[in-house]
This record gives sequence, structure tokens and C-alpha cells, in this order.
Amino acid sequence: MLLVLSEDHKEHLAFLPKVDPAVVREFGRIALEFIRRGASPKIYEGAARKLGVPVEMVQHGVEGLMFLMTESSKHMISEVDFLDSVLVLGFGEELNQILLQLYLQHHSQIRSILSQLPSNLPAYHSLEWRLDVQLASRSVREQVIPMLTMHLLLTKGSDSSSKILQTDPSTLLHLISTLEAALAAMKTSHARRILRNIK
Amino acid sequence: MELSESVQRGLQSLADPSSFDQSSFQVLVDVSFRSLLSSHGDPAVLDQPELKQIDQILLKQCHTAATTFILEAVKLNADKSTISIGRRPPQINDVSWRLQYHMKNGQVDKVNEPFYSISLKSENEGSSEDINFTCTMEQLQDLVGKLKDAAKSVEKASQM
Repeated sequence: MLLVLSEDHKEHLAFLPKVDPAVVREFGRIALEFIRRGASPKIYEGAARKLGVPVEMVQHGVEGLMFLMTESSKHMISEVDFLDSVLVLGFGEELNQILLQLYLQHHSQIRSILSQLPSNLPAYHSLEWRLDVQLASRSVREQVIPMLTMHLLLTKGSDSSSKILQTDPSTLLHLISTLEAALAAMKTSHARRILRNIK
Repeated sequence: MELSESVQRGLQSLADPSSFDQSSFQVLVDVSFRSLLSSHGDPAVLDQPELKQIDQILLKQCHTAATTFILEAVKLNADKSTISIGRRPPQINDVSWRLQYHMKNGQVDKVNEPFYSISLKSENEGSSEDINFTCTMEQLQDLVGKLKDAAKSVEKASQM
């Protein structure tokens, strides 16, 4: 699949052929650092001063590179498609190769960063359990009531929540058989066919 | 609802079966309500036959604690859940699940991973509460493994 770059985006990237290839590599490094850690405006000012160009130009150039990298990683585009997509920018061969290398070296890292963006469902983290037996209470003596207490840990983005729950042995057995049926569902031919064919 | 130390201690003593048996507990509760409802303070309110066996100082402490507690609850218009002195964690009664295939989301394309959505149906003092979460197949296997360990330990304990 080809990336379609907007006019603004092309304009921002138009800055790149005007500088040394070494500078482009440096911008690439900065762009990746920003994807990893967030942008830092001071770096734009420093670079702009050294190159004698307005700060905005540097900022747009780096942001344009960031966007190019994240869009390409998001769609997992192939080498050929990447080169075809940047062809439209009219850069020279060397510049195209620099961009391609940047993409190939970092796309899986960028993808894993993108996939950590907060999801809206809490996810299982771990479960701890404890078996207690109630022997007596104020109203009834000589009881034998087994109780399973569970500590369920869930994470949602970077927050984690913990829940304390209880259940009795017969419900526990019911939970186990229901969840084993859930696991078995992955092994049916229907599930396998879908997993195989949607890639 | 917050209760002072002395009120808590008084109530705890009231709950102690070695100080108050079934009938004296009932009588003290009745007497406490009656003290609050009658228009005059009755100095003989604690002179009940069932309460004669109990240490008189302890009796007065418990009576005071009980009446303070009742007043506090009424003042706050407390409902059943606020008053519960012994709370229990929610009890799980059922689980439902869904197997889904995550294809893409707003940030990443071509995710192509299966995942489970699990919903634990539980009940907490009358009201039902659902706990929902997602997990991968490996995590579900981990969860089921732990539940099976728990079931095995229940079985072993029942054979002792």
C-alpha cells in the first residue's frame, strides 16, 4: 500500500534536500528520539541557529519525518511501497535511501511504542488466591465453610487496579470448566481458519 | 460512618458471646432503643433480669455505645450498606467470555492477534457488579492454571 502525503506534509519535508545528508541523518535521529520520549523545543532552536534557518523550518522538517515514520510503521508498508511513496517528494537517490534505512531499522520499535498508547479496556495482569475455612461465627458454631479469596490485578495503560473477590468451591469448579471451554474455542477449525487467513 | 474508639469498644464487647448471650444481647438492644424513644431518661432502664449477670460498668459502656451508634446512624440516615459492620468482598457467581480477533486500532494497523474478553459476574451485598478485562490466550491459561491449583487444594483440604 502506498502512503498518500498531504500537501502540507510534502512542504514540510521539502526542507530536507536543501541540507547536507549528514544533517538529514541527524534529524532522523532526533525524530526517533522524539517518538520515544516526546519533543523538546530547545533542540529545534539549537539546530536552527547552527544551520542559519528559521526555527519553524527545522520543527516542520523533524515533525514531517516523525509523521512519515509513524504512518509507515502503522501500516507496515513494504520496502518497495515506502520508496514509491517518497518518490513523490522528488528527493535524490541518496536521500531516499537514508529515509528507507531509517524506516527499516526502527519500524518494529515504533510499532511497539504505538501499540502502548492507552487502550480503553482493563487487561489481566495476575491472580493470587487463598483458601480459608470458616469454622464458626457468632450465630452458628461448628461450621465448615470453605471460601476461596482471590486478588485480581488488572492494568489499564499505566494505571493498575486490584480487586478482592471471593467464591465457593462449586462456583470455582464452574469457573474452571467455563474458562477451559473458552480456551478450547481457539482450537476449533473455525478459529484456526480465520487466524490463518487474516494476516 | 465514623465511630469513636469507646463506641467501637462498647460495640465489640456487646458482640462478645462470653459477656452477652443471645437473650441479654436482645434485651440490651431493645433497652437502648427504648431509652432513645422515651421522653424521660429512666434511671432503671438497665434493671432487666437478663442483664443482672453482667458486670454493671461493662453494661453501661455497651448501653452508651449502642445508643450513640443508633443516634449516629439515624443522624446520617444510614442505609444497610453503611451500617454493615462486617463487610465481605464481592462473591463471584458466574463468568462469561468472548474470543475476539484484534485486527487494527486507531494507532496501529495489522495487529492480527486473537484475545479474550472475560466478564466476572459478582454480587456485593445484594447488588451485582461486573468485572471486565481482556487477556491473551497465554494469560488465560495462566489464570485457569491458578484456579485449578486452588481447586486441588480445596480437594486436599476436604480429605483431611
